[in-house]
Amino acid sequence: MIAPLHTLVAALAADTTPQGTAWLPPAASNIAQSVDPMFYAINWICYIFFFGILAALVYFVVKYRVRKGQAFRSDGPLHHLPLETSWAVVPLLIVIVIFYIGFRDFLNISTPPKNAYVVQVTAQKWAWNFKYPNGATSDDLYVPAGRPVQLTMRASDVLHCCYIPDFRVKKDLVPGRYSYLWFQADDVSGQNPHNLFCTEYCGTGHSTMNRKVHVLAQEDFDAWLVEQSQWLDKIPEEELFFRAGPKIYARCQQCHSLDGTKGIGPSWKGLWSRVHGGEGSNEKFGDGSTYASLIGPGKKYATPEDYLRNSILNPGSELVGGYGNAMPSFKGQLNDKAIDAVIGMMQHLDDFDPKTGKYLKEAPAAPKVSMK
Amino acid sequence: MTTIDASRPIDLASRPDNYLTHTRGFLSWALTLDHKRIGVMYMAAVLVSFFVGGVFALLVRTELLTPGQTIPGVTADVYNQFFTLHGAIMVFLVIIPSIPAALGNFVLPIMLGAKDVAFPRLNLGSFYLWLAGAAFTLVSLAMGGFDTGWTFYTPYSTTTTTGGVIPVLFGVFILGFSSIFTGMNFVVTVHKLRPPGMTWFRMPLFLWAIYATAIIQVLATPVLAITLMLVVIERTINIGIFDPSMGGDPVLFQHFFWFYSHPAVYIMILPAMGIISELISVHAHRHIFGYKFIALSSIAIAIFSFLVWGHHMFTSGQSPLMNTLFSLISFSVAIPSAVKVFNWLTTLYKGNISLTTPMWYALSFMVLFTIGGLTGIHLATLNTDVHLHDTYFVVAHFHYVMMGSALIGMIGGLHHWWPKMTGKMYSEKLGTAACIIIFIGFNVTFFTQFYLGAKGMPRRYYDYLPEYQTYHVISTIGSYIMASGFFLTAYCLLSSLYSGRKAAANPWGGGSLEWQCTSPPPHDNFAVQPSVGDCYDFRALRWDETTQGYVNDPALAAEAARNPLH
Ligand code: HEC
Ligand SMILES: [Cu+2]
Ligand SMILES: [Cu+2]
Repeated sequence: MIAPLHTLVAALAADTTPQGTAWLPPAASNIAQSVDPMFYAINWICYIFFFGILAALVYFVVKYRVRKGQAFRSDGPLHHLPLETSWAVVPLLIVIVIFYIGFRDFLNISTPPKNAYVVQVTAQKWAWNFKYPNGATSDDLYVPAGRPVQLTMRASDVLHCCYIPDFRVKKDLVPGRYSYLWFQADDVSGQNPHNLFCTEYCGTGHSTMNRKVHVLAQEDFDAWLVEQSQWLDKIPEEELFFRAGPKIYARCQQCHSLDGTKGIGPSWKGLWSRVHGGEGSNEKFGDGSTYASLIGPGKKYATPEDYLRNSILNPGSELVGGYGNAMPSFKGQLNDKAIDAVIGMMQHLDDFDPKTGKYLKEAPAAPKVSMK
Repeated sequence: MTTIDASRPIDLASRPDNYLTHTRGFLSWALTLDHKRIGVMYMAAVLVSFFVGGVFALLVRTELLTPGQTIPGVTADVYNQFFTLHGAIMVFLVIIPSIPAALGNFVLPIMLGAKDVAFPRLNLGSFYLWLAGAAFTLVSLAMGGFDTGWTFYTPYSTTTTTGGVIPVLFGVFILGFSSIFTGMNFVVTVHKLRPPGMTWFRMPLFLWAIYATAIIQVLATPVLAITLMLVVIERTINIGIFDPSMGGDPVLFQHFFWFYSHPAVYIMILPAMGIISELISVHAHRHIFGYKFIALSSIAIAIFSFLVWGHHMFTSGQSPLMNTLFSLISFSVAIPSAVKVFNWLTTLYKGNISLTTPMWYALSFMVLFTIGGLTGIHLATLNTDVHLHDTYFVVAHFHYVMMGSALIGMIGGLHHWWPKMTGKMYSEKLGTAACIIIFIGFNVTFFTQFYLGAKGMPRRYYDYLPEYQTYHVISTIGSYIMASGFFLTAYCLLSSLYSGRKAAANPWGGGSLEWQCTSPPPHDNFAVQPSVGDCYDFRALRWDETTQGYVNDPALAAEAARNPLH
């Protein structure tokens, strides 16, 4: 019974094109290949029932309408067991078939193949981090085409949800648990890049927590991986703060301004002077201590750099007065060189555009590096 | 006893005194134990809340006219509060109490031929609990509001820095008790106060629906209350229950929450289905088709509703086995719903249909509920749900069910019983026009959202990609159309209070007991307990031009008595 039905389902489904179909976005994964026909088959069932009911409704209303004062007829049936049973049983059969097909496909969706290429995903308010087996990390997702990819995902603060509409996949990221999602993207041509959304409400930046998914042919992907794992290493130490700084700052921007406006976190304006015993060094932390009382030889942080480094890796340990414990830890995401770049940027803050974080001075021509 | 008994006492205009004029003064309302007054006060309170929730909805829609900021000053945080407030107000303050507590309170005892509900004091108490719950929501706003979404998902709700989370949790906790008390009251009333002759299967279908609802209210709401208290405890004294950083489990919260909130969907929709059964039958002046199937399907829905909560969590990482079971049982809810729709449809067949305003609402309900129900198939099916979950498709689906069905049913019921409640007729031309405007606006707003969601637009988004804008604009325009329809409705009903014609006892030609007392009913409803016939037999009724209402015609009644319906 199921097999012919499956053909019927496929036949009723609209043709899938790279531009997307009437109702659905482009179908760019193996999973879309099975979800889309199902979606359109259900659509057709809906159309048939809906227009059937609507037609009967309109017909009856027109036909059996009476004016005030007209005598009532009373020849309509009061009940009809076979009829009533049939409209309990027929929908039941239909939904059982739909259930079964949906269920079979769902088992496939929820079981990643053993040979899948694994990318580690961390979501935190309000950024995604993708980490590849060779240690490279990126903010957009890059995947090789033509082979199963498994995302092993975790959230470090609240619930998030990874949703790639063109692949028809979605899975919650739950703090304290790992969750998986897998797909195989075959299309390297037309529709790149694909959207990736957070679809579990997570606060202020929920709607901006979207990135792109780039599907690359295997050779291109391998090349990208190598390049991506080394981009920071390739930058000479003295150019680090203006080449790498702004790129890393892009991950801090939603909470830290450069122009002094208070955000979810304190602005970086004046930070350099605060931690160096200059203006603002007597400002208090949540626990009552001040910058001056914590930073300096023999104190908790021997150097300002120690303090800044610790603020980035263990943000909860000192809370700047007036701010909550809202900053995610960047442990494992920013290495020492990256932290050097950020600290360098804080030191030369005047050289950066206070709104966008762009470097304002003429940078010496340099080999192109990318960090998306 | 199958026909309307023409000889039963009809307290027609013989007594000028009615429940509105019986006593006067503020305290006579504030301390009243009369179910009708309590119902009217509930109705006023619910409609005010509906207005407030509606304003937030319009703010949300307006903000979404363009990507990024549209309304000056509305940042992402403000927007998050808007949609949270819209959801929380509409669910907890409007839809859940609207039909049972407002209309149900007014109609249920009269339909039973009783003088009041079983526990009038408890009834007044639940109204004051409602007010207290609403007050806590206001306190919450004063303390910084809340941005958790109406679902209060942890660990977001236990960690967000908005100041009003705890008061609003208390507010919803209290509203829960209001709902439990109403439910208990109605269960006992239906069991104990049915008049002689009204067996279970002779009750008006609205009572079956209210009864099934009351059972869900009593059984499910305590779970919500406890869950919300656990969240309060976690926030205040940092005991790890749901927050993983303290050893808790956030998915546990989702289980608890939906164990209440899925049945709550039926707390909202079942009573509306009950209203539609009345509306269709009364305004088609035709015996309801398949009474038993409709009555039992209410009970079936009430039972199934407890077994499907996991369908909200297909992508939450719960085990595939659970997903499978929940998907399967969710489909089973389709069956009683389909039975109801087909039985209503057949009730129109060979009917005597008057296209009154309430009938327009009933027809709107049937269309919108059909769309809402059918799109539920996309969401109950596991593989398509993965794509559609937490997108605008879901938003559209539940608005078709909760607004297009539950609320439209409520407004339809309000128009149906308005003459009874106020003693005034509204302009049917205006009322019908408003209904049609709302219907059009509703579909423009929400049908568009099916499309948005299927194309991948996630819900609860302040900002969105430009490719979605066209559809957001259409949806927003729809919401303005709908809002103008509601304003017209409000004008139509309110103006009837001043200039409306006096309503007859039975303006539509109904057969249940509430149409046998005057409009508005006297303080104690019936001087003598009325006798009960088949409330869906309309054969004895005749349109009377002078009173502009239906009256029992003894000749027709005698004729009907000779040919029992079966
Ligand atoms: C989700 C918001 C958020 C993000 C993203 C964020 N921070 Fe923070 N940050 C905060 C908050 C809130 C504080 C203040 C509380 C504290 O000290 O932990 C803070 C404090 C700091 C401090 C101490 C500042 C001071 O005035 O003493 C530093 C340094 C810092 N962040 C660096 C960074 C860097 C570097 C990044 C990006 C790689 C970043 N933050 C990303 C929220 C954020
Ligand atoms: Cu999010
Ligand atoms: Cu549900």
